[in-house]
Amino acid sequence: MLVTARGALGSLLVIHARGLRKVFRRPRRVEGRFGALRTLLSREQVETVAVQDVSFDIEAGELVGYLGPNGAGKSTTVKMLTGVLTPTSGELTVRGLVPWRDRTSNARSIGVVFGQRTQLWWDLPLIESLRLIGALYDVPQAEFGRSLGRMRDLLGLDPFLDTPVRQLSLGQRMRGDLAAAMLYHPIILYLDEPTVGLDVLAKAAVRDFIAETNRAGRTTVLLTTHDLDDVTALCRRIILIDHGRVLFDGTIDRLIASYGAERHVIVTLAEPGDASVSAGSYAGQRMEDGRHRFTLGAQEGVPALLAALGASHTIRDLTVTEPDLEDVIKRIYAG
Amino acid sequence: MSGADRGMVRLALRITYAYRVSVLTTAGLLVVEVFLLRMIWTSVYGGQSSVDGFRLDALIVYLTLVNLQMFLMTTPLAAHIHSRVRTGVVFFDFVRPIGYPRQMLGIQAGTTLGQASLLLPAIPVAFLAGAISAPADAVAALAYVVSLILGYGIAVLLALLLGMAAFWTIEINGITLFYRFVSQFFAGTMIPLTFFPGPLRTLADLLPFRFLGYVPAAIYVGVLDQAEIPRTLATQAVWMVVLAGLFGLTWRRAQRRLVVQGG
Repeated sequence: MLVTARGALGSLLVIHARGLRKVFRRPRRVEGRFGALRTLLSREQVETVAVQDVSFDIEAGELVGYLGPNGAGKSTTVKMLTGVLTPTSGELTVRGLVPWRDRTSNARSIGVVFGQRTQLWWDLPLIESLRLIGALYDVPQAEFGRSLGRMRDLLGLDPFLDTPVRQLSLGQRMRGDLAAAMLYHPIILYLDEPTVGLDVLAKAAVRDFIAETNRAGRTTVLLTTHDLDDVTALCRRIILIDHGRVLFDGTIDRLIASYGAERHVIVTLAEPGDASVSAGSYAGQRMEDGRHRFTLGAQEGVPALLAALGASHTIRDLTVTEPDLEDVIKRIYAG
Repeated sequence: MSGADRGMVRLALRITYAYRVSVLTTAGLLVVEVFLLRMIWTSVYGGQSSVDGFRLDALIVYLTLVNLQMFLMTTPLAAHIHSRVRTGVVFFDFVRPIGYPRQMLGIQAGTTLGQASLLLPAIPVAFLAGAISAPADAVAALAYVVSLILGYGIAVLLALLLGMAAFWTIEINGITLFYRFVSQFFAGTMIPLTFFPGPLRTLADLLPFRFLGYVPAAIYVGVLDQAEIPRTLATQAVWMVVLAGLFGLTWRRAQRRLVVQGG
């Protein structure tokens, strides 16, 4: 087994990506008469750059959020990590293996869950899919029993273990998919929008399972999601990409700090005042409820605003809202 | 055969049983078809016991056998590959610890096992109804088994190749319909190749479909000259090797072509 060691404390590099790039080529669609036939014969190609230039390292036991707007290149990256897609250029190793070249060996150490599609067999009871997965990954009978027992406890599978997958609710199906992906104890778990479309309780169940998997089994998790509550609840580190490039790689706190997110100070003034109130270099807008909102940049302090405002107005009350991940992400996506 | 292969076989067997009503309906339609063909051919023969060296009783056995064979060689693979490529779930097949072609062969084996077991009770009935009789002789019996196995291999390889088209065009419904018609006709399911006029017979001999139906059944009833059998079986084996090679090449290119649908 090939593993690249790094660091004096023996932290292990699990995923190593450098300058990863994926370009899709399709024949140019010809419009008009016999368009389909002419498209087939055409040599002209259209290029789409799905992943431009992505580099990152992930160590054993990390739980990393891989974020970006729709079409940023997240799923394409995951497909390259799993070995299903071959990168156009760049360097990629997963536990020392080149995924697309050693796809079947790589497959043994990874689990994959896609929120939008299932690996379970539609026409058969859930248990049949799980049995097949046990067989495909050579899980010995006794170990399969133990592992299944654990999944049944953690994910509450018992009520629908014998139900055909097509009759499961989305939340049940997702729990079934998580069980299928973890049944053979993969070293890395790729999760692509695992909470999409789930209700609050189902989301919580999925999050708890992911946290537990990462904590107990030391499974490395790469989580792609649009649900920022998933991210704040689970991820110690996030990698943010857009247009196929890494925009940020680090902790959530650092992201908020480094993107200089704004804070809002909302004050209730003794006298209702005008639609716009200015104090020194600050300007506040009156909101619908009569309070005024001031926006502060990352470097601006609240005391300075209060001093300036207090000189000309009487402040009855105030609240400060700290920037959150959503504000930052919104600003980054908006460009 | 590893546990993984057995897992795939069992899966396909379960799916076939989950759809047993549809399998049994197809089998029922098959009986009706054979019955109608028998009526038509009896009327065509109009009292003659033999036409072009094909005796009427042998023809009836031929028709039963050919249609039974075609039923057993029905393969889910082209439709299976197509639907999984179209919906993008083919992704999961690509991240399994056993290769994709091996998974497909497991599915094929399980489906055939399921279909055969569902069809088994019909065999003694066909014998009793006089629609099947014993093979012409021991040589014919042996050659029939060999020819049937090779024919099965050819049918599976053709279905795999047809399925591979999905990696290029995504949509293969049109090709599949065309394939079904052409393969049935040139396998001789309704009219034995013996009665095909000159140029059509030449075309039928150039195509591989006769190995799925006509060739094994004609060997069984003794219509195919026994001196021809070794050469015919050898040709069949060559076809199988060529198709396997072609599949190997196509598969290697298909992997690079793969675009997994959806985000």
